[in-house]
Amino acid sequence: METLSLRLANKRKFLPVGATVTLFALAFLAGTLLFPAMRDGQSFFNLFITTPFLLILVVGEGLVIISGGIDLSVSGLVALTTVASAALLRDGWDPWVVIGLMLAMGLVFGAVIGLFITYLKVQPFIATLAGMWLARGLCYIISDSEIRIYNPLYKLLAGTRILIPGLADPTTKKGDYVTILVVVALVVLAVGMYIAHYTRFGRTIYAMGGNNGQNEQSARLMGLRVNRAKVQVYMLSGFCSALAGIAYSIYVGSGHGTHATGMELTTIAAVVIGGMALTGGEGYLLGGLFGVLITALIQSLIQYNGQLSSWWTSIVIGALMLVFIGVQGVLATLNARQLTARRLGGAGGGSTAAGLRRRPWRDRRVLVGAAVVVAVLVSMQVVGARNAAPGPGNSGTGPACAIKPFRQDHAAELMKAGAVIAYERNGGSGCVDELSAIYADGRIVADNGTQTVEKKASPADVQALLGSINDLGWFTDNMYSTSETQCGQCFTYYTAVSYAGQVKTVKAVDGGTAVPANYWLVTAKLSAILPTFGPGPQ
Amino acid sequence: MKTLRPSINLGRVVESRLFVPVLALSVILLFDLVFVRGFFNLEMKDGHLYGSLIDILRNSAPTVVLAIGMTLVIATGGVDLSVGAIMAIAGSVACILIDPRIVGLNLQGNITAVVGDPTYSFAPIPVVILLSLLAAVACGLWNGLLVSFGRIQPMVATLILMIAGRGIAQLITNSIKIIIFNDSFAYIGNGFIVLPFSLFIVVALFVGAWLLTRRTAIGLFVESVGISFRASLYSGINEKMIKLFAYAFCGFCAGVAGLISVSSIRTSDANQIGLYTELDAILAVVIGGTLLGTGGRFSLLGSVIGGLVIQATQTSMYAIGVAASAITAVKAVMVISVILLYSQQVQDLVRKGAGRLGRKQAAA
Repeated sequence: METLSLRLANKRKFLPVGATVTLFALAFLAGTLLFPAMRDGQSFFNLFITTPFLLILVVGEGLVIISGGIDLSVSGLVALTTVASAALLRDGWDPWVVIGLMLAMGLVFGAVIGLFITYLKVQPFIATLAGMWLARGLCYIISDSEIRIYNPLYKLLAGTRILIPGLADPTTKKGDYVTILVVVALVVLAVGMYIAHYTRFGRTIYAMGGNNGQNEQSARLMGLRVNRAKVQVYMLSGFCSALAGIAYSIYVGSGHGTHATGMELTTIAAVVIGGMALTGGEGYLLGGLFGVLITALIQSLIQYNGQLSSWWTSIVIGALMLVFIGVQGVLATLNARQLTARRLGGAGGGSTAAGLRRRPWRDRRVLVGAAVVVAVLVSMQVVGARNAAPGPGNSGTGPACAIKPFRQDHAAELMKAGAVIAYERNGGSGCVDELSAIYADGRIVADNGTQTVEKKASPADVQALLGSINDLGWFTDNMYSTSETQCGQCFTYYTAVSYAGQVKTVKAVDGGTAVPANYWLVTAKLSAILPTFGPGPQ
Repeated sequence: MKTLRPSINLGRVVESRLFVPVLALSVILLFDLVFVRGFFNLEMKDGHLYGSLIDILRNSAPTVVLAIGMTLVIATGGVDLSVGAIMAIAGSVACILIDPRIVGLNLQGNITAVVGDPTYSFAPIPVVILLSLLAAVACGLWNGLLVSFGRIQPMVATLILMIAGRGIAQLITNSIKIIIFNDSFAYIGNGFIVLPFSLFIVVALFVGAWLLTRRTAIGLFVESVGISFRASLYSGINEKMIKLFAYAFCGFCAGVAGLISVSSIRTSDANQIGLYTELDAILAVVIGGTLLGTGGRFSLLGSVIGGLVIQATQTSMYAIGVAASAITAVKAVMVISVILLYSQQVQDLVRKGAGRLGRKQAAA
């Protein structure tokens, strides 16, 4: 208890964590004021439900970063775990054995990396980078394609809802809930906090980190077992990565080498926003929880807003990182000045320290960070406003336009009549929903749901068009739909074409994310021949 | 490999900074000589030279360009993680300038005029190149400002742009993959003057960087800042400007690399351009013998050879039928071997062995 009160006495240490918590509370409050949908309690619990694996990763990564290292291999290990466990489950292994094996693999993986770093004096950055590449490469050696997981235990773990007492009705099973994964993640966090603050190992890693690696030497001289702790901390991170990998495979229900791409960056960002210094030796794992919640909150705020593309998430996270790094830098300077002042015992040093303490926000780094955040917020406003304005030549439905589902029955009818179907849809402010039927005799009938236009082309033109589209390999027997979830600014240029003689031949394209080869060529050929709509009746 | 004459001390060759990269390259080429049939065949077709070796040179262009810039940054004791993101930003700026109408809301009316026209470009191509490189340099300056004036750890400072950069690139192109039909822009990455055109860019950049660092004092300043920025400061070197320069130059190189890769695939794909290339570039520099983390002495030629080593490994793995996606595992093995080659313990062993050999030669 004495240590706790001592820690509380040094309040400055809690500034980054305090800032994180305050930021989260303010952002959540602002969200509930702006978007009525967020006032539902479940929207808060959803922040946890969508990120349990991230929280587990943050615990492992946080401990590594506190010890003065960095672990880039976490996302690779997550992907490897999903693929390896999916492959083993496919071969009929017992799920508990698989989980145990994966955790053991994580420990061994981390141990090897830790040994490299500790005894071969390899930079953590390079060693864990090699680890990431190795893990990702191994994924593809196990399986090139995605392996689905059908195991009943995994399904059970994914599907079980734990109702929140007081906020849900246990008889009807309705109300606010979290998943088992969330509970697991919170337990991991609790264990991580216990390890960090109440064990010898935890004190060792705090002693090791910081001061550009010089503290490691001091810790060694103090007689702490630095080498052992270093290997252990990477083992812990490996264990957490494997556990996060299991959580991820339960969450998405499959294993593939591209899973969790770039998650090491999100993890490090959450750690930094959570108030841990990337130089090591400072910060609290509890802050990591709020770092994760803030990243999830930014994402959902942008989703609720509906007019900003999801890419703003990464930009906002980058700006926030800058602010937190600025705060860390100021604190480091303050501590150093105070230390110098104490050592000198002179008034000069003391007065600068006191002066700085009064106005840490005047520091350049904080100012730059704040300026960047303001700039980002302003440009978000501007872009949002621009997107909200009706586009030129469009029907002017504005942002309210939702991406409409493909009119499959209508298309099937037209196909039965011998037509080839071309379909384009576009969400956001464009709001296009045009279904055209191209007949072999040159007749083209287009319909956008409210209006029908007809055009007569020559049969030879139609033949040439369909021939060339066919030559590009654009008629398949598969029904594609790459259209993404509701996303205001994610345009969904959607071209569906069907060729006479084949039963259900539709190819759809999401213009924003996964444009297949020759998409624009096909679009150009089609738009050259299809009739255009006049201003609509709306 | 260098030819060994009895008068040359073997120990000195082993300790030469180019020893490890040259050794690595020789090992890989030797592997190809033994296991891959016809790897060294060169063929002349329509005035172009074809062959696996040419492929290696051509495909390594972006990595080598990045490695040249990264060498200076690492020599100042820093690292730039954001080069991949800067590549994506530069590529997106170029694509949007060549074809701004494609992201416009009024797609329907204009697209026919744009698609397939090999001469269409909204802005003249020199302007496109200039503006995208300017964007890249601005990104580099941002990194440099954070590192030199913000006193933020380089890895952390550049991590910010690494995270945010791809988002910015996506915003520029409205997350649409723009296809480039303009032939003169595509020439940057696809053109040939007997050898691939991108090769000439690499050579020009290398010569420029070499002259800049070895024929002026800048190289010396960079090394001194890397060894001790405080000592440099006291000896009157403006270490902040040197760092700023290094990051801006790295940004410039990333811009060039971005233009090369966008032009060679003719698509702006902000998600894929330069993905993980920062890691390749850092690896190339590390193979080349410039020390990551500590900074100081650097070798531009070593980094170039390092880049070639990475690409040669990749090409040889494809040649013996390793799947493209599994190549990262091979890279990991390569990193580990390089780590072992450079580790103090292994080096001591080699030095002992080489010293003994050298003494034997001297005695004979």
